[in-house]
Amino acid sequence: MNNQREYEVIIIGAGVVGNGIAYHLSEKKQKNVLVIDKGFPLSGTSGATQAWVWVHGKKPDSYAYFTKCSAELYPELQRKIGDIEYARTGGIEPFFSVEEMEEAEKMVQSQSKAGIPVELLSREEVLKKEPYFSRRVLGATYSPVDGNVNPFKLLEKYIKANRLQGVTFSFYNKVIGIDQTAGKFVVHTQKGKFTAEKLVLAGGLWTKELGAFLHISVPIEKVRGQIIVTEPLKPFIHHTIGGMMRQMQCGPVLIGYSMEKVGYDRRSTLDIIQETAKFGIQYYPDLAKANVVRCFSGIRVVPEDGIPILGKVPQVDGLYIAVTHSGVTLSPLIGTLMSELIMEDTTSISIKDYNISRFSKQPV
Amino acid sequence: MNKETIICPCEDVTLSDLESVLSLGAETFDDVKRFTRCGMGPCQAKACFYQVSKMISEQKQIPLSKIPYTHMRLPLRMVPLESLLGEEKEKSGKIPISEGHANE
Repeated sequence: MNNQREYEVIIIGAGVVGNGIAYHLSEKKQKNVLVIDKGFPLSGTSGATQAWVWVHGKKPDSYAYFTKCSAELYPELQRKIGDIEYARTGGIEPFFSVEEMEEAEKMVQSQSKAGIPVELLSREEVLKKEPYFSRRVLGATYSPVDGNVNPFKLLEKYIKANRLQGVTFSFYNKVIGIDQTAGKFVVHTQKGKFTAEKLVLAGGLWTKELGAFLHISVPIEKVRGQIIVTEPLKPFIHHTIGGMMRQMQCGPVLIGYSMEKVGYDRRSTLDIIQETAKFGIQYYPDLAKANVVRCFSGIRVVPEDGIPILGKVPQVDGLYIAVTHSGVTLSPLIGTLMSELIMEDTTSISIKDYNISRFSKQPV
Repeated sequence: MNKETIICPCEDVTLSDLESVLSLGAETFDDVKRFTRCGMGPCQAKACFYQVSKMISEQKQIPLSKIPYTHMRLPLRMVPLESLLGEEKEKSGKIPISEGHANE
């Protein structure tokens, strides 16, 4: 790190969201960007995920469409920053009961109208696409735009590209205070003070604490997801299996469905792991004999109403916020739109619905 | 040791792979692990932990005793998925997936 203390833009948070914004900002030659993180990249939520790039079935339909716009940016991102093992595998979300099928039919109808490529698959069609899937399946919803990416490679390539484009990083440097003087933000860190005209809060789980420094309330929750990792296996799961699992390009299968509100507790617990193993084997019976190498858990950040918080913070001039669940799926689009907003004060796709002002109770 | 020396035999991670992530500012074994897959294989870092920690200690001038241990998770050694089922067991069919490494 150099000794510079003044920047045009400071981004707090070096996960998939913060790095996506830094990448698009520096690509457009806004040179003076500093990214600060309290730890090392991948130590938080971005490094503890199955990293689906998932579109279909998200609610409301307008949000599913928003995620589709992001999924469509991945091939180009991969061309630019290098191999991140992005694969548009197609996504299959299976159902096993008539009630679930009726729900699925409704979802397919309404999402098709909203411009999401999604269809219903019969049992035979599911088994044709996924020959090892359980014979108990009744059918599935399917979208060709769903896929997955390697989150470790995504972050590595983002950081390397960002450094080449002139972005400065400061890792292991916790922000301990933020204030404003003479139209500039002063960010107090463990390694001293930094100033910038524009500040982006992209701290994931820790954005609530960052917002508090500027008296901004950030309504987010912590949700734990526990995941099983198998030994490397021959490629046999060809699609991303919604709500449950996928196979990595290097062979391991990742299985996980759980969502628990337990605060910042990253332990693995036997009850959930047993339940997860049961689901894995129900989906792919042949997995029973596969060895488990490890379990892990990640704490996801989920805004209280489930959809992203993006854009300017109305009360504070020059302050921006980007905090969301599904950060991996949305990273390329959030990076694109937030950099447009920061540099041109407008966005090519509306993010009005995602502004933090929707949470304020006061009448406008 | 040279640049091509393999430090993590499970995941084929070389000395130069490790140096590349240390130059980004990694300070713990788990920082290195997530960027390189070092220690993510079947032995779960039993073979490479000491070697990597020693590198971090030397490069960052942090005493070896101050480098945190890698985060251990269940299971401590590999077990078949079905052994986690508890009481109920599903009948499984033929195993298409245990014939060796995916890249073979």
